[in-house]
Amino acid sequence: MIAVLALFAGVLLGVWLDPTVPSALQPYLPIAVVAALDAVFGGVRAKLDGIFDDKQFVVSFISNVLVAGIIVYLGDQLGVGGQLSTGVVVVLGVRIFGNVAAIRRRLFRA
Amino acid sequence: MTEQGGRSYAPDLLTELFRDPLEPGYAAAARRRRSEPTTAWRRRAGRAASVVTLVALGFLLAVAYRQTVAAEPSRSAVRAGLVSQIKQREAENTALAAQAERLRAEVTRQRDAALSESAVAELRALEAATGLGRVRGDGVVVRVADAPPDEDAVTGAGGTNLGRVLDRDLQDIANALWSAGAEAISINGQRLTATSTIRAAGEAILVDFKPVVGPYEVSAIGPGQLERRFSRSAAARLLRSVSEEYGMSFDVRRVDDLTLPAATEPQLRYATPAVDPTVSSSGSPSPGGEPSSSPSGGHR
Repeated sequence: MIAVLALFAGVLLGVWLDPTVPSALQPYLPIAVVAALDAVFGGVRAKLDGIFDDKQFVVSFISNVLVAGIIVYLGDQLGVGGQLSTGVVVVLGVRIFGNVAAIRRRLFRA
Repeated sequence: MTEQGGRSYAPDLLTELFRDPLEPGYAAAARRRRSEPTTAWRRRAGRAASVVTLVALGFLLAVAYRQTVAAEPSRSAVRAGLVSQIKQREAENTALAAQAERLRAEVTRQRDAALSESAVAELRALEAATGLGRVRGDGVVVRVADAPPDEDAVTGAGGTNLGRVLDRDLQDIANALWSAGAEAISINGQRLTATSTIRAAGEAILVDFKPVVGPYEVSAIGPGQLERRFSRSAAARLLRSVSEEYGMSFDVRRVDDLTLPAATEPQLRYATPAVDPTVSSSGSPSPGGEPSSSPSGGHR
């Protein structure tokens, strides 16, 4: 419950403050979102499995976002930014789907 | 495959990834918690950190959403701005060209009033020959147009269109027309003069630095056999074979009473008349001009 409220508060904060993202950071925004979603679905699944751990969640969130950003940055410097972004999205997408499937099995038994 | 020769192998990365996407950290943390219970303070700090993280996540989602929504209009706005700028400049250009045309007519009238009858006739003949005056007469119109692009109907990806009209084709047509005896040529209403250029810039063809777009109509005024001579030229043969093979459209037809516009006056910056103009102009008194005094006479 608190988690949902916190998420909602964050959305409101983002809408209210409406920050302008520096153009240098703009390419990393979508990747950061995907990485964050991976951490969140992992956390939700752990919660449903009853093994949720705050520290694990926070660390995985931060490290996911950072590592995804660094990989894309490195790719940009090496000239393969597009391909590496695709790689990051594929890997994280597979994880997200796996976690969502597990959540679904737990919630609906299907 | 996990057991081989007594050694156990971990499943490879992708298998692991697909089979168990959950971070093993959660399970490890749960085991740790069972073995050594955490203090209440630690639990509360962890909860607070989670809440902050979730706030950050919501913030991130909102910002990303707004960024995506905001980026699209600005991109199309820039595009629309550029398009309207181009349109405006084109309109200005047209208006200025019309004004220049009017002023030129005014200048011609004033000059005709000021000069003697014979001098006027001589000037008219010179202008017609050099392309600076409007001319009329019988001639041919050569019409070439790009082949329709052979796009893939499904993917929309087009290969290189071999039936596209190139600047070289227009050059060849113009040269063939000159050598067939044409005395005045215009491409899409752009009169060719002695300093005319036909060149390509990217995908566009520029005649005297003004872009022309297909279908291209090369009009020429010349002798009665102009059409026959042009049709037998190497350029016409080449274009006909290209049109048969790649679908480029190409046709030549006789047109009576063509009127070709005047070219804009070239600004000569480096070349100055070397002899007294009256002496040199008396060398070509024939009105309409001989082919040898016609522009771009280097076709022979």
